[in-house]
Amino acid sequence: MAIMISIPAGITANQASTETLTQNLSNTITQTEATINQTLTQIECTLSPSMEGFGFAPPDRGDFNFVPPNGDSGFTPGQFGGGFVPGRFGGGPFGGGGTTAMNETLYDDISSIDGVAAVAPSLQASEGTEQTMEMFGQSFTRLVPDYVIKGIPLTSDIIGKYPILPTNITAGRNLQAGDSGVVLLSENNTAFFGVGVGDTIDVLNQSFQVIGIYGASGVEDAMTLYMNLSDAQSVTNNTGYITSITVFAASSNVVTEVANAISSLHPELSIVTGQQRLNQLETLRDTYEIQLESAETSLAQTQAIAVQEIVIAVTATSLIVLFVMLYTVRERTKEIGTLKAIGFSNLNIMSQFMLEGVILSLIAGVVGVAIGVVAAPALSGLLLPAVNVGFRDAFARATGTVSSVSGIITPELVFIALGGAVLLGALGTLYPAWRASRTSPMEALRYE
Amino acid sequence: MSSVALKTEKLDKVYKLGGRQVRALSEVNLEIEKGDFVSIMGPSGSGKTTLLNVLGCLDKPTQGKVILDGVDITDVPEKNLHKTRKHKIGFVFQTFNLMPWLNAVENVELPMEGTGKTKDEIRKRAIELLETVGLSERKEHRPQKLSAGEQQRVAIARALANNPAIVLADEVTGNLDGKTKLEIIKLLGKLNTEQGTTIVIVTHDSQVASMANRMLFLSDGKILAKEKQGTHQNK
Repeated sequence: MAIMISIPAGITANQASTETLTQNLSNTITQTEATINQTLTQIECTLSPSMEGFGFAPPDRGDFNFVPPNGDSGFTPGQFGGGFVPGRFGGGPFGGGGTTAMNETLYDDISSIDGVAAVAPSLQASEGTEQTMEMFGQSFTRLVPDYVIKGIPLTSDIIGKYPILPTNITAGRNLQAGDSGVVLLSENNTAFFGVGVGDTIDVLNQSFQVIGIYGASGVEDAMTLYMNLSDAQSVTNNTGYITSITVFAASSNVVTEVANAISSLHPELSIVTGQQRLNQLETLRDTYEIQLESAETSLAQTQAIAVQEIVIAVTATSLIVLFVMLYTVRERTKEIGTLKAIGFSNLNIMSQFMLEGVILSLIAGVVGVAIGVVAAPALSGLLLPAVNVGFRDAFARATGTVSSVSGIITPELVFIALGGAVLLGALGTLYPAWRASRTSPMEALRYE
Repeated sequence: MSSVALKTEKLDKVYKLGGRQVRALSEVNLEIEKGDFVSIMGPSGSGKTTLLNVLGCLDKPTQGKVILDGVDITDVPEKNLHKTRKHKIGFVFQTFNLMPWLNAVENVELPMEGTGKTKDEIRKRAIELLETVGLSERKEHRPQKLSAGEQQRVAIARALANNPAIVLADEVTGNLDGKTKLEIIKLLGKLNTEQGTTIVIVTHDSQVASMANRMLFLSDGKILAKEKQGTHQNK
């Protein structure tokens, strides 16, 4: 009986986690759409790695090799340099650049192109530890990043007007024009550094004060810390170098012309326009929507299975209580008869048995919850193949926010389980208790 | 208040058994005075148990009246009969019928629950009653730790709990050995003498029956005209 009670607990837990997944996916889609609208006038210019040796050899720092940051959300708000990770969402030309250093001064002429409203150069560098993996007899070295440094020009004509900084500030303040020696951390960064607003962190042996913290969301890089471009250049030993240039066209009508002009000036650059990004983002959004749909289908299936299993569990539990209590009543006919013979009323007897049934079920409920706490994750996985590993991993990869799905036992759930146990116990005891109360007092005088 | 504890008038009880009518009691007229100690004797099938059921408000007669302490209990509605059983009648059973999960004193307290007495009053009364039946040393024991005679003493104490108008004892010595049997009957006699308790014992044991004040005989559902004087003297 205890196990019977633990089953609905496990199911409910699983259902709750599936609902969380669905919710997260919905949020991600909404945010993706917001980003799409913001990016229509943007043109992203990066140097593709194949263009190295063009006289743009990267500085001697070795960490500019392309690395897909693990758990990275995949792209940054309004910035696409290195944002898209090839292979993650089907790749394309989109994510190729952004990690190859470019000499800043060579691209000063972009701002004088007709139709260019603003130019925001930026530098991005991943910091972490290198890991060597053996695969198919070959060894690969990859960087497992702890955080990603992103330097952006903190001038009022850019950050005041164009969406290149995170918007969801959860503590402190956002970066402002003229800020230097300060950083804006993501929530993941605060966990990594173990600091809060006002504290000082060490980035590549240089001290920075934490000015604010932004909340990571589906579209905001969960590992990126933002700082002034000049700070980033000096701390990473890249003075004069950048990894991408974001060009803002005066309007979405002139984006193509501006892109063509940049291309003829600097044929070595890979250029991605807002329209191309839009297509990319729409593909991404479609991917999310398909996942959402599958999550919803999965949730519906889960609920259907859960309802079936709960009905079975409830029925079985009530029947067990019913039979156990009926047996008890039969067994104790003489006692009940005696109690009636010495003056107990039907109501006395009935309430006595109801109390007994409820207490019994409550004890079973406590045992059931205990089993549920231990076994719910395993049990729910067993019972609900609908929320399968494939889907879960796909989602984890897509958002970097959920790494595992398991049964969660909340106090409310415990309360519901115990309440359910008491209710089922009462339900199952109702008839036996009524039978007991109808026992004839003459049974007291029947001797075997 | 009359001096009659229990009186029956033309008591009939008819059972239907497989389409056949069985007349278990036939025009039973009884009159038991307060403070009397009466035995009703009869062989098996003579209607002893039926009579006891009717006198103890456990069953309704087909016809006739049962006047208990001045009240005709055949007029009391079914749903109120438990009150009559609780306050007017004390039952002592052949198999003691103690609650196995309660100790001696708790068993004696049982009928006093819900009578408006406080817990302390109930406990005090129960301990007094156990002293009366000579069990003050064993009040914390559960029934399975008590001998048959001790269990029956607890049952007698329980029957006396609410000062009933009458104690009905059904074959109270049926499960006891010879020595204990006499002790129990003597205890009943003592209660009758010292406390004026009205006692009716139903038995087929002539030795036990003869230890009452009055002996009545039941045969084929009828009380026989002959009546004997027993060895017991009422106060």
